[in-house]
Amino acid sequence: MSFRRWMDNAFWEENSDKQKLNCILEMRDDADRETRQVFLLNKLNKDGSDNEMFVEVVETLGEELIERNTEERKVRKENEKAEKKQRDEEHARARKLEELFNYKMEIFETEEIKNSKNRKLKAKIRRAKSKVEVNLWAMKLLESELEVAESGKE
Amino acid sequence: MEKSKGYVIVASNKINFYKYAVNLAESILDYNEDAKITLFCEEWMFEEIHRDLFDNVEWCSNHYRAKLDGMARSPYDLTFYLDADMEVEHEDIATVFDEFNGYDILFTELTDDRDYIYAERDFDTPEGSAKFTLCGGVCLYDMTVPIVREFMDDWWDLTRRQMDHEWWPDGYAESLRSWDQFSLWWLTEKTPKYKDLKLGIFEDDLRWNYYNAFNWAITQPEGEVVVRHYSCGLDKDGHII
Repeated sequence: MSFRRWMDNAFWEENSDKQKLNCILEMRDDADRETRQVFLLNKLNKDGSDNEMFVEVVETLGEELIERNTEERKVRKENEKAEKKQRDEEHARARKLEELFNYKMEIFETEEIKNSKNRKLKAKIRRAKSKVEVNLWAMKLLESELEVAESGKE
Repeated sequence: MEKSKGYVIVASNKINFYKYAVNLAESILDYNEDAKITLFCEEWMFEEIHRDLFDNVEWCSNHYRAKLDGMARSPYDLTFYLDADMEVEHEDIATVFDEFNGYDILFTELTDDRDYIYAERDFDTPEGSAKFTLCGGVCLYDMTVPIVREFMDDWWDLTRRQMDHEWWPDGYAESLRSWDQFSLWWLTEKTPKYKDLKLGIFEDDLRWNYYNAFNWAITQPEGEVVVRHYSCGLDKDGHII
């Protein structure tokens, strides 16, 4: 059976002026072929007359529903944006942590650090939250190894 | 007699795994200085300066999945196996042996909402589609239970045979052959002998095997992370220096 109907998810392009309407027309022809067409409808035609299709959608769905859709969509889009931002930040944080882990592995391969039995300072390197902190604790460990070596000579 | 407790780490095939294993052992000792740790590695990898980190050092083959051989040869009654490319970051590592909750073997879980980081999880079987649900990154198990000991032997044996092309069931994709999850799935889902095995999932399991590739905004444990898994972001073949 054929039909032609406006989907109930239409929304204003700009809620403030309500001059443009996003909407989808669903159709089925006699051969049972279904199509969907997306429209961005202007309220007025170029000559200033009313756009009949625009009027049809507003009358069919009602301004209240369109306004509600517009508000809900706005909130949804803002949430999606915030969520994406948070995901991107967490993704970057994870990459940074991997990089830091690899950096620590390099530091632990430095001969003096690798051979050191100073577990306390090695743990400080492992728990460091940045490369700067890793470097500081690595320096401290090297100094302490030098001191041990010097006192061994005396 | 009280059951012995210890950690098992395996490094095979690539020298970087040995380096990660040393770091992992040191990180366990950072939080649990009395920890007993057994290292399985290839003989050529081992450096004597690391001897004092380990309660026990054993050799293993260069097999890519030698971890299963190491797991089966654990000298401890209660064993916590960890993949070498992990790091401990919480003192609760010392209490992991209290996590059994009546089970004989515990894993962490592969779930739909964590799907986004797994390489291959869904697969076809002659009976329909299936999914891997157990992650072998860590495993807590009780070797005093005879069926657990048999299970660990069988898991290693089946994995070795599937990877060496000695065994493969009809109707399964060849791409699954390299996964020890497949042999694990086969033993737990298709092998009648193990249908009564008391196999469980860690409570708040993400704490015990938190893949760094997880996105914290989407996937996070209730408690603090105990073991972080760097599996995805490491250049396992490259030179660390």
